Amino acid sequence: MRIWLLVLAALPLAAQQTAPTAQETPATPVAAPAAPQTPAVPLTTPETTVTGSLDLGYRFNSVGGSLDTYRFVVDMGSGVRLLGLDLTIESAARKWFDRIDVRGSGWGGDPYTMAHLDATRHDWYRLNFDYRDVAYFNFLPSFADPTIGSGIFLDQQSFDSHRRMMDFELELLPGHWIVPYVGYSHDSGFGTGITDFVNGINSYPVEDRPRDSTNNYRGGVRLELKKFHVTLEQGGTTFKDDQQVFTSTQNFGNNTSPLLGEQLNLTGLTQTYGVRGDSIYSKAVLIANPTPWLDLFGEFLYSRPDTSVNYSQYNVGQFADLATLLFYTSELDLLNAAAKQPHTTARLGFEIRPMRRLRVIESWTTDRLHNASSALLNQQILTPAMTTLLNSFTDLLVMNYNREQVDALFDLTSRITLRGGYRYEWGDGLTDGALISGAVTETGQLKRQVGLGGMSYRALAGLSMSVDFEGSGGDRGYFRTSLQDYQKVRIQARYQVRPSLVFSAGFSVLSNQNPNPAVNYSFLSRDNSASVTWTPNNSKRVTVTGEYTRATLRSDINYIVPQDFATANSIYRDNVHEASTLVNLVIPGFGANGPRLSAGGSLFRSSGSRPTEFYQPTMRFTTPSYKHISWYGEWRYYGFAEPFYLYEGFRSQLVTIGMHFTR
Amino acid sequence: MRADNLIPLAWPPRFASAPPPPPGPRPFGAGHPQALAVAAAVFLLAAAALAQSPPADAAAPAQSPPPDTKPATYVGSEACQMCHEDIYNAFQKNPHIVVEKDKHRGFETGACESCHGPGSKHVESTSAADIRDPAKLPVAEADRGCLSCHLNRPTQVGRIQSGHARNQVSCVTCHAMHKSAEDLVPRRRAAINAKCAGCHTAEWASFQRPYKHKLPEGAMSCVDCHNPHGSLLSHSMRTVSANEPGCLNCHGDKRGPFVFEHAPLRFEGCTVCHEPHGSANPRMLTRAEVRFVCLECHANTPVTAAASHTLGGVPPSFHDLLAPQFQNCTVCHVKVHGSNVSQALLR
Repeated sequence: MRIWLLVLAALPLAAQQTAPTAQETPATPVAAPAAPQTPAVPLTTPETTVTGSLDLGYRFNSVGGSLDTYRFVVDMGSGVRLLGLDLTIESAARKWFDRIDVRGSGWGGDPYTMAHLDATRHDWYRLNFDYRDVAYFNFLPSFADPTIGSGIFLDQQSFDSHRRMMDFELELLPGHWIVPYVGYSHDSGFGTGITDFVNGINSYPVEDRPRDSTNNYRGGVRLELKKFHVTLEQGGTTFKDDQQVFTSTQNFGNNTSPLLGEQLNLTGLTQTYGVRGDSIYSKAVLIANPTPWLDLFGEFLYSRPDTSVNYSQYNVGQFADLATLLFYTSELDLLNAAAKQPHTTARLGFEIRPMRRLRVIESWTTDRLHNASSALLNQQILTPAMTTLLNSFTDLLVMNYNREQVDALFDLTSRITLRGGYRYEWGDGLTDGALISGAVTETGQLKRQVGLGGMSYRALAGLSMSVDFEGSGGDRGYFRTSLQDYQKVRIQARYQVRPSLVFSAGFSVLSNQNPNPAVNYSFLSRDNSASVTWTPNNSKRVTVTGEYTRATLRSDINYIVPQDFATANSIYRDNVHEASTLVNLVIPGFGANGPRLSAGGSLFRSSGSRPTEFYQPTMRFTTPSYKHISWYGEWRYYGFAEPFYLYEGFRSQLVTIGMHFTR
Repeated sequence: MRADNLIPLAWPPRFASAPPPPPGPRPFGAGHPQALAVAAAVFLLAAAALAQSPPADAAAPAQSPPPDTKPATYVGSEACQMCHEDIYNAFQKNPHIVVEKDKHRGFETGACESCHGPGSKHVESTSAADIRDPAKLPVAEADRGCLSCHLNRPTQVGRIQSGHARNQVSCVTCHAMHKSAEDLVPRRRAAINAKCAGCHTAEWASFQRPYKHKLPEGAMSCVDCHNPHGSLLSHSMRTVSANEPGCLNCHGDKRGPFVFEHAPLRFEGCTVCHEPHGSANPRMLTRAEVRFVCLECHANTPVTAAASHTLGGVPPSFHDLLAPQFQNCTVCHVKVHGSNVSQALLR
């Protein structure tokens, strides 16, 4: 309290202008140093230089077991690949650029294709461009196949798709007090898959063609002045989703039992989603350090995404409306809908240093989101009798979240820092009531008071350790599984025995309890890890890294079985051993630039609710063949097994032979 | 009491307000005279109020020789080069070399001393005690040397509250000041991941699981999702489009807004159902079977007074979980992230 009073009293003084205080008296100039014995590296080279490397190779692969799971988990194919490109172009003239970095990998058919470019011209611009094409393949019958008991292996939520992402940002006048910038991002997804068409009591796996894209445009300016910084950004997004779902073959669905003697089926379907969205957003960031002992920061973020929907569906077959017990053979649905979601976030805080050893950090955060939507559904039963149903829907979701946090950090000694704090989180939520509950709305509340603590210790001989703790007695959370009565501890330690040998270890535990009889939630997770890095003689001959992690998770929570209303327990267990190592060795007798051998890999074994084994050993041999060229051969093995789902296991060997060019 | 004990926070002076470049004396904290006076007063009074032990200087025996009160002065980087040539040469490839060359930043030909402070005494004595070594300073004090220039950058807005700052992870833990541009700010994904994995061992181990984001393959890096300097979201999660969670940067089809929202996505984010670092469960789910991911919230429990503040407890009361059709909820609830057509997220 005394400190705060002092600080408050001192604040007005800070605004007064006083004569400069000479903290140090001018000293006599130091004599000019003697000329260096060796010439310095010149600041500029006389010409444009290009340095970098290129990896080009051919990969062979063989897969045994489930190819679908292999594609889901690994998905590396055969063929010629540009495995890596890393170029740096530096211009001595610096006319148009100082430096350009170009990187790429995975070109030629790999599931992850990347390109990246950074270009800078000091005081003029900084340009970043990033491109990624990531393939997603997902076909695991164990995930979503209600017919798996019949021996039909069909993942009804599968897809074979790509996501392409591109990001471009240009910053002008970097390093100046005013820095304008513009940016553009594009994100798109497309492919094929299987999804379900749900009608009444039956659902039918049908073909799916997802196709969406998002564009993001943004521009802003950063003002970097003597005592404060301001960023102002204005942006917008456009979004479209043209997913199509269709089938033209007869399909009896997942429920093959006749209903009142009628066999339900689907013979034709066209679902067309025409979703369009746009958003504007604003961002303002202020950071100020008006005095050396006070930093202020604030953020204001606002976005207002909108969505409009035009959906049509035409289905033919044999269907039943359970509400009216009407059987019908064709249906046409048309839906128009819209949603708006203004979202405001703000944060304000400061760090004050009332004395040398003490820092106090205080912040307030609020996050407010309000989703309002409406829809008009025109549902027409075309045959046997024309019936038109017009339904209008509204929906809402309101979330108000607030947080206040204060941390005090005290340097007990120059090597020990203690930390303590308090966080209070509160908020409320409102959603439309679930159809079954009959309630018009549902409300949720959040109220959590959290104690914070920690300690950092840095010893002379390369030993450092930090302890982090937070805990709450629990009050109210939005969901049954939210954090309630919880304690979280994290300990990390690092010991650098010598410059070439580093040990580190970590331990973390999270315990969360919700003793409410209707919930009875008990959650405990533990992670223990240790690692070692050995780089003798500055890695000229040998490098060894190794890491081991043991992770366990135990979760129990009550639920009520719908068919008999008996109380049951959802039990989840995960018991993991994970280890990885890599040894790099320069083959003796050939000098420092001689052949190299790398060997290592990782293993993952888990037992519990979904026992899994996943092994990834690897070995690579590199031998120089010419001044800037080396050959390499690489072998990788992937072994994956799940005792509960043996049909999803696979073993794969990948052999890559390639050339590595350097300049 | 030494002046730098009184006003450590004022050092080094901000570039924008720094006096002309060295050589020559540079007043300590010249940019904040009034604040320095206040800070000094506050410190003195607070120190007295808390009855802290006096600094070691005050306890020095009277018979010891008087300390050298002559302040150090700036001597320029070439003086440093004489003994630290390897560092000097490596520094030529470091982006901070701009400080050496740019007269507007106040340290032209004196980049070394922009971080290490005036070096004349060190040049004379060659003693490590006569030069400021940020690596040996308390973390907060060392960081303030960096933040005197870098605080006012957008990525720093969260640093004051980030876990790294709270746990005394200093700037130089991740950023090598004397080496190449790549060492200063790693740009290659493998280098970024290796840097983070050096401390976050358990997190990196999660990426060895079969279902994960593709970091070991080089398709992503930790900073695609996290801002190591801090964020207003928990776990230093990045934000996109102002205040949307960083996950939506790639998963744009989950952005919405949806006509019918699934509340957990907005209230607690993707990690309610997914383990983003990696899982033994397909699609990085938190549970081995889809139905339990859903049932743990939609537990069919009646809305009791004690639990009335929770959302989503009631459905699915009519599902027969013994039937295979109802054992994987997403078979029917295909739009589980939010639907534009169906309130029950069926289409």
